Amino acid sequence: VGEQLVSRLREERTRRNLTQAQLAELVGVSRKTINTVENGIFIPSTVLSLRLARALGTTVEELFQLR
Amino acid sequence: MSPQNVVEFADRISRRRALGTALATIVFLAIQVVVRPVFRTDGYAASDLGAHMWALNAALLLLLLLPAGGFVWGRRVRTLVNDEVSRNNSRTAMAAGFWVAMVIALGLYALPASRGFNAREAIYLIATPTTGVALLAFAWLESRAHRGG
Repeated sequence: VGEQLVSRLREERTRRNLTQAQLAELVGVSRKTINTVENGIFIPSTVLSLRLARALGTTVEELFQLR
Repeated sequence: MSPQNVVEFADRISRRRALGTALATIVFLAIQVVVRPVFRTDGYAASDLGAHMWALNAALLLLLLLPAGGFVWGRRVRTLVNDEVSRNNSRTAMAAGFWVAMVIALGLYALPASRGFNAREAIYLIATPTTGVALLAFAWLESRAHRGG
């Protein structure tokens, strides 16, 4: 209760020199999806989180944390 | 079309849909202010054509809330345009419309019986703002999803 999801997606994406459109293409989602997850507007589903982590070669726990 | 072009094309379509939805809804609501159909007490509209046009307009606009359409663009673009975020926005917009409908319906119920709304008039008074709120909410949520990228 009261915990917030913190997304490190933008950091991980830029560290790999990827644009939102490039990551969207890798994951198979729209650029809008990447944008909303990065801005904390949209909380991704488990499936999407796993796909994002796989595309960036990291883990879901590295991408998203509760604070 | 290369995969990245597909993503960019879907992005453009999605932005245009948000803007188009907002504009179409504003025009729809403006028309109701200017040429609102007048309903007789026997349950029929004074101008049946006006009432039928309103019903057709509302039905067509509500189709924009469904995660479908765009068959001319192909399955890949369609999937990207109607993605997880858009489906979520659509559900949120429909929930907003539902609450508007309930508030207006209960408000009409609370009005004195002497006011005597007939069924068609009541449907019009409930469905018009409900359609407007749901579609404007969807357009706003979609526009917000595109911002700051």
